[in-house]
Amino acid sequence: MLLDLSEEHREHLAFLPQVDSAVVAEFGRIAVEFLRRGSNPKIYEGAARKLNVSSDTVQHGVEGLTYLLTESSKLMISELDFQDSVFVLGFSEELNKLLLQLYLDNRREIRTILSELAPDLPSYHSLEWRLDVQLASRSLRQQIKPAVTIKLHLNQNGDHNTKVLQTDPATLLHLVQQLEQALEEMKTNHCRRVVRNIK
Amino acid sequence: MERAREPLLDAKSGVTNQLIDFQWKLGMAVSSDSCRSLKYPYVAVMLKIADPSGQVKNKSFEMTIPQFQNFYRQFKEIAAVIETV
Repeated sequence: MLLDLSEEHREHLAFLPQVDSAVVAEFGRIAVEFLRRGSNPKIYEGAARKLNVSSDTVQHGVEGLTYLLTESSKLMISELDFQDSVFVLGFSEELNKLLLQLYLDNRREIRTILSELAPDLPSYHSLEWRLDVQLASRSLRQQIKPAVTIKLHLNQNGDHNTKVLQTDPATLLHLVQQLEQALEEMKTNHCRRVVRNIK
Repeated sequence: MERAREPLLDAKSGVTNQLIDFQWKLGMAVSSDSCRSLKYPYVAVMLKIADPSGQVKNKSFEMTIPQFQNFYRQFKEIAAVIETV
C-alpha cells in the first residue's frame, strides 16, 4: 500500500534535502520526541537560527516528517511500499535510506503511542466496599437488612470518576456469578479459535 | 393606597428547586475492604429534588451520628425561629 502525499506535505518535506543528513536525523529524533511528549515550539526557533531559515520552514519540515512517520506506522506499510512512497519525492539515495531507517527504527513505538489515541470508555481503577446493616428507615423500624455499598473508581481519558452503588448480598452473588461466567467464556473453543486466528 | 405586591421569589415561584421527597435510613457498617470489623452507625438521606424545569434528580448523602445531631439541631433552630415569625 503506497502513501498518498499531498501537495502541501511534499512542499514541507522539500526542506529536508536542503540540509545535512545529520540535521534530518536530528529532525527525526525531535519528531519522535514530540510524539512522546508533545511539541515544543522553542526548538524550532533555535534550529531556524542555526540553519538560517525561518522557524516556519523548520516547523513544517519536522511536522512533515512526523506525519510521514505516523501515517506509515499507522498503516504498517512494508519496507518496499515505504521506499516507493518516498521515491516520488525525488530525494537522494542517502536521504531515502535515512528516512527508511527512521521509519523502521521507530514504528513500533509510534504504533504504541497511536494506540493510546483510541476513544476510551470508563475503565476500572479500583473498588472500595462496605458491608452495612440497615436498622431502620422512614417507612419501617426494627429491621435487620444486610446491604453491600460499593464505591467504584473509574478512569476515563485521564479523568478520575467515582460511582457509588448499593445492593443486597444475593444480587452481589449473582453479579459475581455472571462475571465468572463471562471469564469462563474465554476458555470455550469458539473464543479460543477466534483469538488464535486474530494473532 | 398602594396594593401590596406579590413577592417575586417565593417557594412556589418556579425559580428555585423544589424538595419533593425526603427519605432516610439508619444503618450500621459492620465491615469494609479497609477494616474488617466495624461498628459504625450512620444516617443516609435520599432527597428527590425537582429543578424549575420540572426535571427530578436524586441526591443522597450520609452523615455520622454527630453530623446528624448537628443537622437535627439546625432544623430545631429553624422551627423555633418560625414560631416567632
